[in-house]
Amino acid sequence: MSNTAVPSSVPLPPPDAKESIICCEYCPVACGYKVYSWPLSTAGGPAAADNALGVDFPTALLSGKWPSENMHTVSLVDGEMQNVLVVPDGDTGAVNIGGTHSVRGGALAKKLYDPGSLTGDRFLRPMLRVRGDLVPISWELATDLVADLSRHVVDEYGELAWGMKIYSYQYFENTYAASKLALLNIATPNFSPHHAPAEGDDVPGLSDCGIDAFGSSFEDDKAADVLFIAGSDPYETKTVRFTTWQQPGGATIVYVDPRRTFTAAYAESKGGLHLQLTPGTDTCLYNAIAREIITRGWEDAEFVAQHAATRADLDAEEGGWRRKLFGLSFDEYREYLFSHDDFTLDGAARETGVPADDIRRAAELITGGGGERPKTTILFEKGLYWSHNYENTAAIGSLGVLTGSTGREGRAISRMGGHQRGGMKAAGYPKDKSPDEYQGNKVEMDTERWFVQGNTRLRYIVGTNWLGAMGATQALVDATRRLTSIGPVVPSTDPDQALAALKARIDEGGTVIVHQEIYPNDSTPYADIVLAAAGWGEDTYTRNNAERRLRLYEKIADPPGEARPDWEIFAEVGRKMGYDGFDWADTNEIFEETAPFASGRKDYTALIEKAQADGVRAHDLLKTYGTTGIQTPLSLVDGELVGTPRLHADLQFKSDSGKANFVLPDWDEVKARNEILGPKGDELWVTNGRVNALWNNLFDHARREISNERWPVNFLEISPADAEARGVVSGDMLSIVSDDVLDQLGNATTGSFNAVAYVSDIVPDGVTFAYFLYPGQPANSVTPGDSSLQPINLRYNFKLGKGRVTRIGATELTRTMSFAPRNLVP
Amino acid sequence: MAPLTRREFLLLGVASGAAVAVGVVVPISIASRDEVDGGAGSTTTGPAAVVALFPRTRVAGLSQLTDGAPVMFDYPLEGQGNVLVKMGEPAIGGIGEGEDIVAFSRICTHMGCELTEYRHEHGVLGPCPCHFSTFDLIHNGQVTLGQATQNLPQVLLEIDGDDVYATGLVRLVYGYANALEGAEMVAGA
Repeated sequence: MSNTAVPSSVPLPPPDAKESIICCEYCPVACGYKVYSWPLSTAGGPAAADNALGVDFPTALLSGKWPSENMHTVSLVDGEMQNVLVVPDGDTGAVNIGGTHSVRGGALAKKLYDPGSLTGDRFLRPMLRVRGDLVPISWELATDLVADLSRHVVDEYGELAWGMKIYSYQYFENTYAASKLALLNIATPNFSPHHAPAEGDDVPGLSDCGIDAFGSSFEDDKAADVLFIAGSDPYETKTVRFTTWQQPGGATIVYVDPRRTFTAAYAESKGGLHLQLTPGTDTCLYNAIAREIITRGWEDAEFVAQHAATRADLDAEEGGWRRKLFGLSFDEYREYLFSHDDFTLDGAARETGVPADDIRRAAELITGGGGERPKTTILFEKGLYWSHNYENTAAIGSLGVLTGSTGREGRAISRMGGHQRGGMKAAGYPKDKSPDEYQGNKVEMDTERWFVQGNTRLRYIVGTNWLGAMGATQALVDATRRLTSIGPVVPSTDPDQALAALKARIDEGGTVIVHQEIYPNDSTPYADIVLAAAGWGEDTYTRNNAERRLRLYEKIADPPGEARPDWEIFAEVGRKMGYDGFDWADTNEIFEETAPFASGRKDYTALIEKAQADGVRAHDLLKTYGTTGIQTPLSLVDGELVGTPRLHADLQFKSDSGKANFVLPDWDEVKARNEILGPKGDELWVTNGRVNALWNNLFDHARREISNERWPVNFLEISPADAEARGVVSGDMLSIVSDDVLDQLGNATTGSFNAVAYVSDIVPDGVTFAYFLYPGQPANSVTPGDSSLQPINLRYNFKLGKGRVTRIGATELTRTMSFAPRNLVP
Repeated sequence: MAPLTRREFLLLGVASGAAVAVGVVVPISIASRDEVDGGAGSTTTGPAAVVALFPRTRVAGLSQLTDGAPVMFDYPLEGQGNVLVKMGEPAIGGIGEGEDIVAFSRICTHMGCELTEYRHEHGVLGPCPCHFSTFDLIHNGQVTLGQATQNLPQVLLEIDGDDVYATGLVRLVYGYANALEGAEMVAGA
C-alpha cells in the first residue's frame, strides 16, 4: 500500500475574501449564513489570522465554524469563476445561534450554478416551443410574445382568461412585482399560489378566532412548558427550530401525527405524548380534548371571561361572513362539544384511534390539570390544515382560545410555516370578480377548475412545479396536454409566425403556458415559452421567516447565462403591455416602494423612515442588522428601530371588539368528507409530506449528490403487516393506484405513481406515506383535486390520498440506499 | 444482496445518477481509478473522489472480531476516534470473507459530537447525542436521518493474514479543512 498521503481538503477563504450575508433558501426557520468568495488562485490558511472565518483549524467541537465539503463550490462571481463558501453564521444573534444548521441549508453552496456539476441543466436563456422542441430565443422576442399574447387575451377574453400561478413566498421584491402586474394592472382574480387552487387564507379557522397565524417567536418555543405540535414535524422539517429552541427549552411535547416519527419518539422519551390519530380525524381529537378540559374545569377561565367574545360581541361584528356564520361564544362552543357523543373520551378514541387515556392525559398536560397552569404553546402546519382546512383550523384555534395560549411568553398558537414569508401584494385580491361563492358569499376562485374547464387562455406559471403540486396531478396533466394541443404548432422562431400560431391556439379555445423557472421540472413538457429566471443569491432580496424576522439576502453570485431576476421579467412584460410603474433600477427601489403595502405583521415602514432620515438605502440599513435581522412589525422609538417579538401581546385580537372567539369545529362535515375520501376495500391511506434531506420538488436536491444517494427515488413507508400481506420487503418497487381520485371537476379518475418500499413501523397499519413532490413520481396523483369538497375555503385535502399498493418487483436499491429506521432516539 | 466492488465503493459518494432521477437509478458512476486519483487532490467541485491514503496501521485482529462487537481505534491522527465493526452482512466497502468488516469515524459530521451508540440490529451509528444524526454503516456512512451534510468518513481497510489494517480515510473529519493538519499521527503510523 502506498504511503503517499493524498489529503482531502476544503479550500479556506483568505482574510480578504469578499463576505456577504444571506439566509437559507428553504424552510421557514431561515437560518443565517455567511458567504465568502475569492479567486481560485488564492487560498487562506489554517491559522485564524490567515483565514476569513477567523478560526483556527481544526475547529473545536460544536464550533459552528467548520465548512464541510458540501459547503464549498465554485461559481460565477463578478464575472469570473471563484471559490464560494456558504457557511452557517456562527456569530448570528438569532435563529441558528452557534452556527448550527440542517442538512438542507448546510449544503446551500451546492445550489449555486457550476456548469460542471449537477446544476448544469439550469435554464440559461428564454426558449420557445417550436414544432415540439424548446429552442433558444432572445429576451426581446420572449417578452414581446408574453406581452402581446397577454394583451390579446385580456382584450378579447377578459382578465379572468389570464391566469398567474406563482410562489407566494419568494422575496418581497419579486412577489410585489408579480402582483403589480397581475392584481393591480391586469386585475385578475385568476391568481393563485404554488400550493393551493385558490388565493386566500390557509388557516381560516384560526383567523376567524381573531388570532394571527404567525404570532409567536422561537423564544416562545423555548420558554414554553408544554408544546402541543400537530401536523408538523419540527425535527424533520423545521430542524433548527427544534434543535436550537424546542430541544434545549425542554418542554413536554404532545405530538399529534398519524406517523411515529423521530419527533414522536422523542416526545415520548422525554415524558410527553404521541397522539397517533387516524388520518382526517384531527377535528374530533381537539374537540374531545376541549370537552375534557371543560368537563374538568381546566380551561383558562380568566382569559375566556376577559378576552373571548360574547354572543352580543359577535352579533355586533361588522365584517367577515365566515365569523358571522361560524363564530361562537364560550357557551355556544361548550354546548356544541357536549352535543356530540364522538367527543366523549371513548367516542373520540373510537373515531380517532387515540386511546381515551391519552386524550385525557393531553388535556391534563396542556392545562396543568387544575394545578399550576403551564405555559402552553400550540404549533401546527399542513398535516393539520391540508387534511381538512376550515374545521381543523377552527378546532385547534378554539383549543388555543380555551387554554389562553396566545400573546404571552411561552403561550402562543401559531403556524410553524411551510415556506418563509416573502409574499407581498401591490393590490388586494379582486374577490368580487371570482366566479366562486359559498352561501352567497364570494370566495377566492378555484383557478385549477377554471383552467380545466378551458377558461384560462394564457397561464403564467412562476417558480413552481405546478402540475406536480396540485391534487389529482395526472388529471390536471391530461387537461393541460389537451389544452396545449389545440390549434397549429409554432412553425419557427420568426416573431410574426410564432405570435400568429399561439394566438390561433388561444382563439380556438386552447391555452398558452408561460413557464418562468430556474430548472426544468414536471411542468416543462407543456411550456410554450420558457423564461429563464435567476434565483436565491443571484440578486439582493428581503424576506421574513416564521417568526416575522426580516433579513437581507444579498447577491452572492451572477445569474447563469442570460437568466434574469423575476422582478426584471415582470417589469419588462408590464412595460410592454403599456402599464406604468415598472421602471425600477434595482430591488432596493421595489423594497422601498413596497413598504406601504406591508401592513400588519409584515409592516416595515419604520425601516424605510429611518433609512430616509439617515440618508441611506433601505437594503443597506437592513444589512446592518446582519443575519439577526429584526422582527416585524417595526416601530421607531427615539430614532431607533424596535421589533415585535410577539403579536397579541396586548391581548387585543383581530375583531371589532378586540376579543378572540371560538369557531364551530364541525366534525359532522369532516366525517362526511372522510367517508368520501377514505380508503375502501384493499386500499390504504396514501398520505404524504417532507423528509428532512429534501426540499419541495427537489429543484435543488435532485442536483445534490448527498440527496441523490439518500433518496434516489420516491419511497413509500409501509407497515410491516401491510408489507407482509402484499409480499413486500424494503427495496421492492411498488405501484400505487387509485381509481377514485376526484379530479378538478369532481369526477372519479385513475391516478398512480411508483415508489420503493420502505418497510417501517413509523406508519401504523392501514397508513402509508410518500414524499409529496418527487419528480416523475407524483404522490399527488392519488390525492383529491376537487376543492368543492371544502366550499368554505377552496383547498385540497392533500393529505388524504389513498390507493391500492402492489409489488412490481425487487430492485438493486438495497445495495446503496439506507432502509434503516428513521425514528431512533438516544 | 451483492456487495459493491471495491472500485464502486471508492467511487460512491462521488457520483450521482441523472439530475432528475425517474425510476430506479443506482447512483454509481463508472470511471477509471486513474480518474479517481487524479481528482483526489482537487480543490474544486466535480467528479473528484475525496480519498485520503495514510500510512498503513494495524487496528484489529481478524480472528478476534465477532458480529456486532465494535472495536475502537484512533486514526490517522491522535484523537480522531473510529469504530470498526463486523456487520454480519455485506456492507459497502466491507472487507473479509463476508465483505462485512467496515470502519468509520466516530465524530459526527454535523457539529463534531462523538457518536457513542452503535445499534447492531439496524447497522447504524447514532443517533448523535447532540442533534440526532444517524449513520448507516452498511451503506457508506449515509445519513439515515439527521442534519450532517456529508456521510460519515469511512476508514479504508485491508487484511493481511490475521491483521486488519487501516490505510486511508474517505471524506473529511469534522473540524478539519485538511485531513492532515492540526495533530500528531497515531503511533506506528
